[in-house]
Amino acid sequence: MASLSSLFDPELLRRYDVPGPRYTSYPTAPQFTPGFGEADLRAVAAASNGDPIPRPISLYLHVPFCTSPCFYCGCNRIITRDKARGTAYLTRLYREIGMASELFDRDRDVEQVHFGGGTPNFLDPLQIAEVMDVLRRHFHFAPGARMDCSIELDPRFITPAEVGELAAAGFNRASLGVQDFDPAVQEAVNRVQGVAQTLGIIDACRAHGFRSVNVDLIYGLPKQTLEGFSRTLDITLQARPDRLAIYGYAHLPDIFRPQQRIRAEDLPSPEQKLGLLRLAIEKLGQAGYEYIGMDHFALPTDELARAQREGGLHRNFMGYTTHAESDLVGLGVSAISHIGASFSQNPRDIAGWEQAIDEGRLPVWRGMRMDEDDVVRADVIQQLMCHGRLDFDAIGRRHVIDFREYFADALARLRPLQADGLVEVDGSGLRATMRGRLLLRIIAMCFDRYLTAAGGSAPLYSRTV
Amino acid sequence: MSGPGVVFPRSGPAVMADDGDALTFCSTCAFSQACMSEGMDKAALMDLHVLVEHVGPLHPGEHVFREGDPFGAIAAVRAGTVKTYQVDRNGHEQVLGFHLPGEVIGLNAIHDDRYPCNAVALDTVMLCRFSFPKIALLAQRLPNLQQHLFRLMSRDIGVASLFARDNTADERMAAFLIGLSRRLAARGFSPRRFQLTMSRTDIANYLRLAPETVSRVLRRFEQDGLVHIKLRDVEVLDMQRLEALALAVLRD
Repeated sequence: MASLSSLFDPELLRRYDVPGPRYTSYPTAPQFTPGFGEADLRAVAAASNGDPIPRPISLYLHVPFCTSPCFYCGCNRIITRDKARGTAYLTRLYREIGMASELFDRDRDVEQVHFGGGTPNFLDPLQIAEVMDVLRRHFHFAPGARMDCSIELDPRFITPAEVGELAAAGFNRASLGVQDFDPAVQEAVNRVQGVAQTLGIIDACRAHGFRSVNVDLIYGLPKQTLEGFSRTLDITLQARPDRLAIYGYAHLPDIFRPQQRIRAEDLPSPEQKLGLLRLAIEKLGQAGYEYIGMDHFALPTDELARAQREGGLHRNFMGYTTHAESDLVGLGVSAISHIGASFSQNPRDIAGWEQAIDEGRLPVWRGMRMDEDDVVRADVIQQLMCHGRLDFDAIGRRHVIDFREYFADALARLRPLQADGLVEVDGSGLRATMRGRLLLRIIAMCFDRYLTAAGGSAPLYSRTV
Repeated sequence: MSGPGVVFPRSGPAVMADDGDALTFCSTCAFSQACMSEGMDKAALMDLHVLVEHVGPLHPGEHVFREGDPFGAIAAVRAGTVKTYQVDRNGHEQVLGFHLPGEVIGLNAIHDDRYPCNAVALDTVMLCRFSFPKIALLAQRLPNLQQHLFRLMSRDIGVASLFARDNTADERMAAFLIGLSRRLAARGFSPRRFQLTMSRTDIANYLRLAPETVSRVLRRFEQDGLVHIKLRDVEVLDMQRLEALALAVLRD
């Protein structure tokens, strides 16, 4: 693989710094409508059981609580120190697990469990282990070797001993929020987190046999400097996490209220932001990491990097994964499910979610059934986001279409991107160039029917870089 | 590409279940051949008051007829899939067959005055309904049509007994896929690419297998490179080997 530094083309990154979807799904969530309800979810689940080889199941559990607000956060979360809220939440979550499990045939293995948030470790390890027990009672888990069980951890609120309890409960992957170790930055975003504390949790994950540890960093935060971020990268890379995500901070205080507490004058300029990204890419390259896609990097030995080399990488709401397509069941407030050719989302407000559960209903707020065109485009965009390339014949064959004819308008939209050297197109396929790979979603946007239908007035997406 | 033919249950010019007109039959009509070889066109049939009634669209789960309903008509499937089934004394469903475009349902009611089974739409279904007394009357005048009816009836019985014999799960599944492939090909659909419009439970019931076995056998077929399956879509990759496996059941 070519050096990572050829990913970075400041001129292109400046030119294509436009808002765009992250394509954890296609169609994206703004296309979901309240016309899709509980009866639809039941119908698509029943139909999924009727597939000749039903897909395995992935479970996503959303824990919305955080003890303290990080100012950069754009997630749907509830700030509280009241642990009783967690207990009340779990009571309803168990009811939802019970209802959801009844939708699926007994021989459908669960191959993936992911706890996200909020802060999943707002719950204590005993509570998390209890959730796992409830899941095991209602679903059939695949044998350990096939089973991926991951959790997002805030290192400030967990001890190394507690990591051992999570391992005993079945967890074998963790993702740690770090963002930046620079004390000035940590203060500006209201997330003060010690280096020793963080490294201790990474070590504990290793000691307890976790298959992978991911670390999240963010560039573009207030008070961030090249020197400070360089130290953060050095400390992080010395710990050699299997996976690294480098997210760009998008300052949208009108949409994400917590961001109003970040002072705009503390933010790095667009030029400085690009400098931070360049620094990260250089250091990751030197340390031997490979680029997976979007904001994600991994060591060559990691399963994600291997899957990408072998063409077996997938992408869903939980990010990149090695699991072939599965039916994804989202549990908890705001969680999204993807069953068969459908999407559905639980209420984003906790009251709405609670009410549905209390009334014995599956909490469906909105969703959609994909049509044939959605299915074709979802495949194309998935291929792009995971492998940065398309084989026209392979896609044409899968969907019984003539790719060049079907996507004539998309290929026309790609022409300026071709001229700019983001992508190479020939008779048999297309391939993102090294420089284009950081801008994969710009390429994917050319295949998004809903963006082109909206005439470019894209909904509120974060910027591409 | 996937070879000739439209991928069932999509439609296209080759398999379009058009309505026909006063002079031509629906392209999928099971009787058109028999009538035309007798030199009768639709106008002549109309003179005989053998009117064909177009029924549908029926939605998934809607019944064409139920067991015990008085028998008056047979129907040809124009589009979609119809499942026929009986319910035994213990309330267990037993799938008798899946009827594809161009195939006839209700034939097994002829010897009785009531339908001996249920018929339900599995997807969006369009039908042609023929009043049976009138068709029978017509058959007296058209020996060819009578022969055609007998042929349809014997084929129906043949299909029902296919899986009663002592065959392995692999052989039954192969025969099921080859059967579908051949029947679809006869109607202008692709023999290599088609959708399974029936659920895993229905297939299992029809083949007298457990649903888990259906999945297990198909997964093995995939590993062996016989077929590729994605959700409901089936692609036959090695027709020869699949046919060889099906031979024990199909015997031709």
